Amino acid sequence: MEVSSLPISASHRAKLISAGYISISSLSSISPAHLARDLGISENEATGILKVASQRGGPERTIPSHHSIVDGAQTAWDMLHEEESCRRITTSCADLDDILGGGISCKEVTEIGGVPGIGKTQLGIQLAINVQIPLEYGGLAGKAVYIDTEGSFMVERVQQVAEACIKDMQEYDSFLRKDLPARQVNLQANDFLANIYYFRICSYTEQIAVINYLEKFISEHKDIKVVIVDSITFHFRQDFDDMALRTRLLGGMALKLMKLAKKFTLAVILLNQVTTKYSGGSFQLTLALGDSWSHACTNRIILYWNGNGRYAHIDKSPSIRSASAPYAVTGRGIRNLASNCKRVKLILRARLAHDEHICRSLI
Amino acid sequence: MNPAALLQHPLPTRTTKCTTGCPILDSFLHGGIPCNSITEIVAESGCGKTQISLQLLLSAQLPTSLGGLSASSLYLHSEFPFPFRRLHQLALSNPTLQNPLDNILIHPLHSADHLLDLLSRLDPLLVHPPPQTRLPIKLIVIDSIAALFRSEFDNNPSDLKRRSGLFFKISSKLKAQAMRFGLAAVVTNQVTDSVDSSDGLRIGNSWFLYSSGRRVCAALGLSWANCVNTRLFLSRDEENVKDDDGDIVNTRTRTRRFISVVFAPHLPHSSCEFFIAKEGVLGFDSCNDFHLENREL
Repeated sequence: MEVSSLPISASHRAKLISAGYISISSLSSISPAHLARDLGISENEATGILKVASQRGGPERTIPSHHSIVDGAQTAWDMLHEEESCRRITTSCADLDDILGGGISCKEVTEIGGVPGIGKTQLGIQLAINVQIPLEYGGLAGKAVYIDTEGSFMVERVQQVAEACIKDMQEYDSFLRKDLPARQVNLQANDFLANIYYFRICSYTEQIAVINYLEKFISEHKDIKVVIVDSITFHFRQDFDDMALRTRLLGGMALKLMKLAKKFTLAVILLNQVTTKYSGGSFQLTLALGDSWSHACTNRIILYWNGNGRYAHIDKSPSIRSASAPYAVTGRGIRNLASNCKRVKLILRARLAHDEHICRSLI
Repeated sequence: MNPAALLQHPLPTRTTKCTTGCPILDSFLHGGIPCNSITEIVAESGCGKTQISLQLLLSAQLPTSLGGLSASSLYLHSEFPFPFRRLHQLALSNPTLQNPLDNILIHPLHSADHLLDLLSRLDPLLVHPPPQTRLPIKLIVIDSIAALFRSEFDNNPSDLKRRSGLFFKISSKLKAQAMRFGLAAVVTNQVTDSVDSSDGLRIGNSWFLYSSGRRVCAALGLSWANCVNTRLFLSRDEENVKDDDGDIVNTRTRTRRFISVVFAPHLPHSSCEFFIAKEGVLGFDSCNDFHLENREL
């Protein structure tokens, strides 16, 4: 739609065209003050022009600005806005959350790998609990799907982590609302357990079947916000006579999971094992399933030992920079390494005491 | 195959566990050996792997009210001969059990392929146990897995790859049956000496495992470590004890045995001392120091 066809005075039309406003859509998101400044006219006149433009532009728009020519395409601006409003799942470890930019991001596939005993299953369980934290405590109030291929999911441990999470929420509550009456956290560990949909699979065919079934399952349970597969690799490390088949199956699985993550805006977390690879004359530790699989995930986090501490390293991510952070596996789940935690607690306590002192002196 | 059938919802409130027969060891293991997963016991020879395995064969027969599984056991052994006499001695110390030896099935293992074949043919036995055993089978003990793999694989990449493939096949089969029939699976493993290297691989709660004053690591490597859910390490140490007897000071050595958690999804990093007595493997509470002297076998 052309500006030249608008029923406005000729001088205004000439000013619009020379200022660069050729089509009506260019006038759709501009403010009267801006237009007045651009054209050198009064604001009332600018408002008048815009009113005419919007009346004209409305019913005759053939391509509305918020629909796209290709179905499913978005402008980068829309994507940025979406990403900023996308919530993240906390890992309960402040250092780890920091390097992740707030937590595990929804809408993406994250692969987490490490040696046995480093805490992969523990992290998986922590995320399955943390996704359920209610909105008023900064969580997503979602449910979790946990696909267990190895049998490491122990209910007693999940109960332990859930109880610690409830206690943390209670502490957070009493800290923030210290002058208001304490609000009781009305959740039990069993409520957390009830919100985890647990699949136990025993072969690679069952694994592929469940992942194919997930689309239907999640569309029936819309509040699922995280899918955890522990581990993605166990059933694929047996001897496959046809390695090309294995690569095809893995590729298909990866594609389905990415589609799930995008379509339902949920986080997909794949736990992987490590193996040794002979490269450059020595054996090195690398994630299992080979090079072709390593392209399948959006983000990759590697858990490793450094001295006596557990560390997480962001190995691959399109949006977060590479960094490492220490974490600890405690009786309450994944937490900050003890020394950092004590420091934070001391600072908080000192600040609280200082605030109290000030308040008392004011009374 | 219906994927919806694989969903377990709501989750059970607790994992079934098999008692070890000793309350101290049970509390160390948070209840006992869990079902539906593979527990591995790693130790050098002479530390007590077979002792604990034999003890489990009997404690599994205890009723569920006493922490047992009320079940028979299957004992697959790759090391010969089978310790019949010791099993008999242990059974005698457990008078509450009726005809305990009837509820223990024993089968020898000759190779890794033999084990895989056996596991594939195990289903009918798990569904319908033989007539003398009245109880269903709920415990499988493999003693030891390392012996099956140590002779027929060379140290070249293709053999190691084939060996690794077998690990995952065996573990996968065992876990599938543990899941379907609610079994507890216990596997024993040996150790190899760990050559001092600065870029050593750390698996679990400590950089190195020590036994008899030597640095050791579990046999079968990283691949097998990925196949088990829980790894427990038994160790022994000779300790010098000074007996102050007036003017004469006697030094003698005393064997101390420890069990510790290398990695487990439900257990914190901890260790517990134990001793082997006539009645079996018993945990040791350090407050009752004087008992140890008289009770060691």
